[in-house]
Amino acid sequence: MNFPGSGIVKGLAVTARNMVGSYFEKDRLTTEQYPEERPKLPENSRSFPFLIYDGQDPESGMRCVACKICEKECPPQCIFIIQDRDAAGKPIKRPKVFDIDISVCMCCQICVEVCPFESIRMDQEYELSSFDRFAPLLLDKARLLKSNAYYHSIHPTEAAETDAQLEVERKKKEAAASAKAAKSDKPTEAAA
Amino acid sequence: MMDLLEGAPIQLQAWFLGLLRSFGTPEWILAVLSALIIIGTIIGVFLVLFALTSVLERKILARAQNRYGPNRVGPFGLFQPVADGIKMITKEDLVPRTADKVVHFLAPVVMLIPALLVLAILPYGRGMVPAEMDSGILFFFAVGAGTEVAVFMAGWASNNKYSVLGAMRAIAQMISYELPLVISAIITAMVAGSLSPSAIVAAQGGFAFGFVPQWFVLTPWGFTAGLVFYIAALAEANRSPFDLPEGESELVAGHLTEYSGFKYATFFMAEYIGMFAICGMFVTLFLGGWQAPVPALTIIPSWCWFLGKICFVAFTMVWVRATLPRLRIDHMLAFAWKFLLPMGFAAFLSAACWHYAGRGPAAWILSLAIIGIPYLLLGNSFTNRFAVSRRTYQFSE
Amino acid sequence: MMCAFFNTVCADPLKFLGNWFVVLPAIVLLLAAGASVVARNLIHAALFLTLSFIALGVVFIALGAEFVGLVQLLVYVGAVAMVIVFAILLTHPAQLEKSRTPFSGLGPAGGAAVGFAVLAVLLAFIFASPLGKKPLPPSAAAPVAAIGEALMGDYVVALIALGVLLTAALVGAAVLAMDDKKP
Repeated sequence: MNFPGSGIVKGLAVTARNMVGSYFEKDRLTTEQYPEERPKLPENSRSFPFLIYDGQDPESGMRCVACKICEKECPPQCIFIIQDRDAAGKPIKRPKVFDIDISVCMCCQICVEVCPFESIRMDQEYELSSFDRFAPLLLDKARLLKSNAYYHSIHPTEAAETDAQLEVERKKKEAAASAKAAKSDKPTEAAA
Repeated sequence: MMDLLEGAPIQLQAWFLGLLRSFGTPEWILAVLSALIIIGTIIGVFLVLFALTSVLERKILARAQNRYGPNRVGPFGLFQPVADGIKMITKEDLVPRTADKVVHFLAPVVMLIPALLVLAILPYGRGMVPAEMDSGILFFFAVGAGTEVAVFMAGWASNNKYSVLGAMRAIAQMISYELPLVISAIITAMVAGSLSPSAIVAAQGGFAFGFVPQWFVLTPWGFTAGLVFYIAALAEANRSPFDLPEGESELVAGHLTEYSGFKYATFFMAEYIGMFAICGMFVTLFLGGWQAPVPALTIIPSWCWFLGKICFVAFTMVWVRATLPRLRIDHMLAFAWKFLLPMGFAAFLSAACWHYAGRGPAAWILSLAIIGIPYLLLGNSFTNRFAVSRRTYQFSE
Repeated sequence: MMCAFFNTVCADPLKFLGNWFVVLPAIVLLLAAGASVVARNLIHAALFLTLSFIALGVVFIALGAEFVGLVQLLVYVGAVAMVIVFAILLTHPAQLEKSRTPFSGLGPAGGAAVGFAVLAVLLAFIFASPLGKKPLPPSAAAPVAAIGEALMGDYVVALIALGVLLTAALVGAAVLAMDDKKP
């Protein structure tokens, strides 16, 4: 049926089908209503870095040993670390102050790549707006420390790989420690 | 009870005036008040309708495009006009330094006045015409011509070449489409025998075979004239697909470029109220005015039917806007002069033959033929003209 | 002749001036027409002319000639004013400011004198005509139907002649606006 004007009628039918269908067919409306529905981010998406701790207590389970490699490698120099000292004043392997200025950080992930202890990783949180340009955007150690369980929840594959690798290293260290203990025990046994 | 609802507006007004009369107010004050009540009601209803339409149009367009419309302000986004109103009022009112200040200021006013004036002659219900005029249809088109003056004033006073160009195109469009509009309206006046809207509504009364309404749109000539009127109404109201004068990507807003804030809101309001007025005229002339389609539904009051029909026609205008792309100015004008005007004349001839052939079955077939043949010929000439043909080069030899 | 004019006014001044609806638009009409002649800016002149057309339409309606008044609004404001406006838009107004016509030497006083002379001639003819000597029929006796029947009956030759004239004008305009090169 191709009378002059039939194209317009067909167009009107398409629009009508859209209008009615948008109420009944749920997959027509692809709009994500933002504050009520958050977008589902891909697994590899990243925003700013965070520090990982194992176990329940952030301070004791922290993987960071304040080696300051990430501070040296960071291109815009947004990381600031002060190593902690024990009661006697000797430096110990934890940071007292660990600040990342996220108004400077460019999320290049170099700190993650160079960390030898798998202690700093990239977070996925993007709702970081604040009313002040300076203080709320300087993340200190307390705000940066997040648990390994959280890391598993945002980057499952990476976290599983990291855990497996740490497990391997731990087993190697234990094997080396027990071999060394066995070797150092033998002379004492021979002496005794 | 339904009769109570039917006469409710008139009864309410009479009761209120009687109350005042019992307090001893002089007659001339009562006469002025009576007019003011009617005017206030009509303007109030149409302003609310304008506000609702501005948000419902966006929501319907959105649903046609598979997305939500505005849904943040108020339940289902229905308070969006409040937010829009506050925005428009608080915007800075910029007038170009070299613009013609008086004319620039008067243009929105001159645009709004005809749009509101023409609401006076529409029959809103049984016996509810604010201004009963013997030549009401003529009043509608005469006053509607004032809009063109306003468009010109807006375009020229802005002292902006693009505004002037936009105004010229807008005026050309409005003048071209005025002819098919008036001719299709005259057809109904011819068949009804009077230029008064109430008489035309009355001529569409009664039911054939007991239940079929005798609206003009259900006859071949009436359907064609109605379609011509509808398309010309879309063009007169500067609505898609004829919204070249005010499309966002066309000459930056054409004659409205230099208007901001409340003056722009006034133009916007004038356009929507004009759209409702012309929908009202379409309903009056072709859709039987305030009459119900079947005898069983006459329990619903007449003014409800009129309002419902206007809303339906406005909905179809939004539907057309969601569907069709914008026409280019030369296509638009060619369509008016080479298709709508001849179809208007064909409908005219068809209506006359229908009447003089006795309005029986033979008359119906004759009128259908008088319309169908020009329609097919003209339509094919339009579609075939743009068919791709072998390229010839005029100056290549 | 002037005595006849004053007699009409002074005989019943209340009736003459009491009809606000005619006098007020008439005053607006005269002022707008005067402003249109005097205005410096061409567009202002065109807009004042449009205002005078509207006022004239209102005068017609107030005098009871509803149909004529509405047609005046429809044709003059809707079409003639638009033609004037288009003519101004399409020609460059700056060129017109400096143009001199054969009559430019007359100056404002000479122009006014010519205008009043034309007015005097027109008034002479108006007062010499039967208009105003017979009572007008009531406006209800001239509805649109009666006008239509008169146009198609007694004055059909004039109507058809006007139609032919308008068609010729339309065809002439289309020919003037057509492109010169052949397809």
